[in-house]
Amino acid sequence: MKKFLNISLLSLVALSSLMLSSCKNEIDEIFDEDAIARLDNKKAEYIDILTDKGGKWQMEYYANADEPGYIYLMTFDKNGSVTISGENQWIGLLQGKNFGAIGYGSETSLWDVITDNGPVLSFNSFNKYFHLFADPEDIPSTDTEADDETGYGHEGDYEFDLMKYSNDTLYITGKKYGIDMIMTRVSPNVDDEVYMGEVIAMADSFFNAKIPQVYINLPNGVRWIVKDGATSILKVFREGADEISTSETYNVIITHDGLSFMNPVTLDGYTIKNFIRQPDGSLLCRDDNETTMTADPLSSIISNSRLTWRADLTNIGGVYAGFLPQIASELTAYNKSTLVYIQLAYVAAKSSFAVTFNVKKGATKINPTYYVTLEPQGDTQVKMTVGEGDQAGELYATKVPSMRAFADALAGTFNLSANSLLAPVNMKMEQGNNYIIWNIQ
Amino acid sequence: MKKIKYYISALLLVAVAAMSLSSCGEEKLGPTIFPDVDETLDPTSYTYQLDTFLLENYLKKYNLTFLYKMPDISTNMNYNLVPATYENSIDLAVLCKYLWFDVYDKIAGKEFLKSYGPRIILLVGSPAYNPTSGTEIVGLAEGGIKVSLFKVNAMNMFINNPDMMNEYYFKTMHHEFAHILHQTKTYPNEFNTISIGHYDSNNWQDRSEGQVASLGFVTTYASSEFREDFAETIANYIVKTDAQWNRILDMASRGWTSGDEDDVTSEFFSYYYYKNNDVTNEPTYIYDRDVFTVTDEDGTVHKYWRNFTDPEGNRIVVYDVEDKDGIDGAEAILHKVQIARSWLKDAWNVDLDELRNEVQTRQADYDIANLRKMVTGGYNQ
Repeated sequence: MKKFLNISLLSLVALSSLMLSSCKNEIDEIFDEDAIARLDNKKAEYIDILTDKGGKWQMEYYANADEPGYIYLMTFDKNGSVTISGENQWIGLLQGKNFGAIGYGSETSLWDVITDNGPVLSFNSFNKYFHLFADPEDIPSTDTEADDETGYGHEGDYEFDLMKYSNDTLYITGKKYGIDMIMTRVSPNVDDEVYMGEVIAMADSFFNAKIPQVYINLPNGVRWIVKDGATSILKVFREGADEISTSETYNVIITHDGLSFMNPVTLDGYTIKNFIRQPDGSLLCRDDNETTMTADPLSSIISNSRLTWRADLTNIGGVYAGFLPQIASELTAYNKSTLVYIQLAYVAAKSSFAVTFNVKKGATKINPTYYVTLEPQGDTQVKMTVGEGDQAGELYATKVPSMRAFADALAGTFNLSANSLLAPVNMKMEQGNNYIIWNIQ
Repeated sequence: MKKIKYYISALLLVAVAAMSLSSCGEEKLGPTIFPDVDETLDPTSYTYQLDTFLLENYLKKYNLTFLYKMPDISTNMNYNLVPATYENSIDLAVLCKYLWFDVYDKIAGKEFLKSYGPRIILLVGSPAYNPTSGTEIVGLAEGGIKVSLFKVNAMNMFINNPDMMNEYYFKTMHHEFAHILHQTKTYPNEFNTISIGHYDSNNWQDRSEGQVASLGFVTTYASSEFREDFAETIANYIVKTDAQWNRILDMASRGWTSGDEDDVTSEFFSYYYYKNNDVTNEPTYIYDRDVFTVTDEDGTVHKYWRNFTDPEGNRIVVYDVEDKDGIDGAEAILHKVQIARSWLKDAWNVDLDELRNEVQTRQADYDIANLRKMVTGGYNQ
């Protein structure tokens, strides 16, 4: 008991010294102000930062590590309101669209910088276009019992620890789930809907489900194949390696000026994260200024046997434009039919590419076809030769001579250009003043 | 000597504790535990009208802070929750005043809620789901201080439906306030003995309302434990219309049986029939809604299946399930109400029936558009 009491006394002395010194002395020696004052100052500082220069920001939002990121535009007002705009498939679902169809939405709600262990940006009243990622209701896209997310939802954050501010960029961390994100200042003159539309257009220019794969080109000359880009959850594996056993998936966000991985990715020793869209539609890594992301050459894509193209008949030039009214006139004279579309595709049964004229006569569709060869010439040229037609093709060659003449005019070497080198879904094939724009199907 | 040392040790501990407690802050306690928001309200604030309303009608009147901007740290981090919408917060703020605070003011006196009412009301936009148990929390009272109301964002779907509003908010508030009151002055232990042995804290959510009514509970949740039973009895008695309350008593008076006694989640039924009126067939259990009654001139009541006749065109006779639980459910419920009634009168000088009448009158025809004007201006009393 004596020993206990001695220990007890010693402990009390030690405890008292700790307690007596814990509140102020140490702080006075290190900081000019106490913790509360410093926190209040930080809060005021971040409110000023958020509302300064028009108060408009782009947030690169990740709900969790398994979904793509989404861009939100936020305009902070000193009166405590924030207008949040977004455009994604989840907003589309809220608006009653089919799953996968994107929708644009904008709503005003409340915000504040609150103080916890540090300054916290809190979106503290419900905004249906933003808090949808934190809502614990079942995610409507999945309706089987095994996929019942009731109680969980996407598990996204709406409170963010404000970590750092530098060069009009705020570094934030989701308070509950700990995902690091960034906010970048945007001009107050930006129209939210236009801006979000540009982000969507940016996404479309990078990836299209019809383009089978694109490539990350490392400075060492090694290519890594990227698949499933249109989902924004990229499947990546080294060219030549086994796709199934070696591929990894990475979620990305499409921003207003490029693409960013959620976390840095290291491939062959090169660490990449942020890519900027180049004028030709390719992507350049902002981190090393060397790594690029491109697709196959245009000449390979136009001659890919798995792709089907249709001519944009409203945007066609030179001799081809001249043929169209003749074809229409001759079709009417022959059997009162009309031209619906012109298609370039691979015909497996003939092991050949073909140009097909889809003709509609009443409810009947007829497809006069002329077989062609496509031979890539470098990256941006293709040589086309035109051969015989199928039975309908030969018949229409006599009844609608302009159709065959159109096909014959496709012979030659064409320069290729596209809306984007990554997702060339609109390919321009031109020879002098003659051109056709082929749209991928 | 040992004793002396011990006492010194104890005194030192007290002294150290006192010094440590007094060393950090020297603030004097003011009349309210909350910051003096009166001085901080900003007329240019987006929420100025609502904040002013809350200041005048909650903080100043009841020393109550009405939290509609939800900081996550105010809620249980184990749940995934979202804030309430600003618009629904306005609606709930005015409805809480009209259907709850003003009622107690009128019946119990203006000081009652100021003394015993909650100090914090927190609005939460989403339900608090517990995915493991398949339940959701619709309200939460913590330590007699804080009442949390959930599912506020769904409110605009049933803003003019008193039943739904009661279910999610006002019944919840009466329920939680009953907890606050009995945590302050305990109710007679007699209440806990009425249904002893029939509570099920683990599987109450799998019970049916008819089954538990027959056992003497007003709701399935009431059958979870006696404190919830007490709060549910008061809350349901106050907010249920006469028709709804009588339905509970009617269910409590009947016998109930499960379609499958081996399945705890199976439904319970109070009526059955025999196919083709042939009593040698297995009984088929049916819902209340499928039964219709015919009363003879001599007052005899006959029950029939609503949907079909037998092959000869005769109505299918419906039989009552025998009440085998040995409990007069209606009597048990009314007994509980009587205990609550007496306790409220004796301990709190609150007349439960006056409270109920006032709530019934107000909830019957409230005009939300007009009530909103309490916040935006132009309210017509």
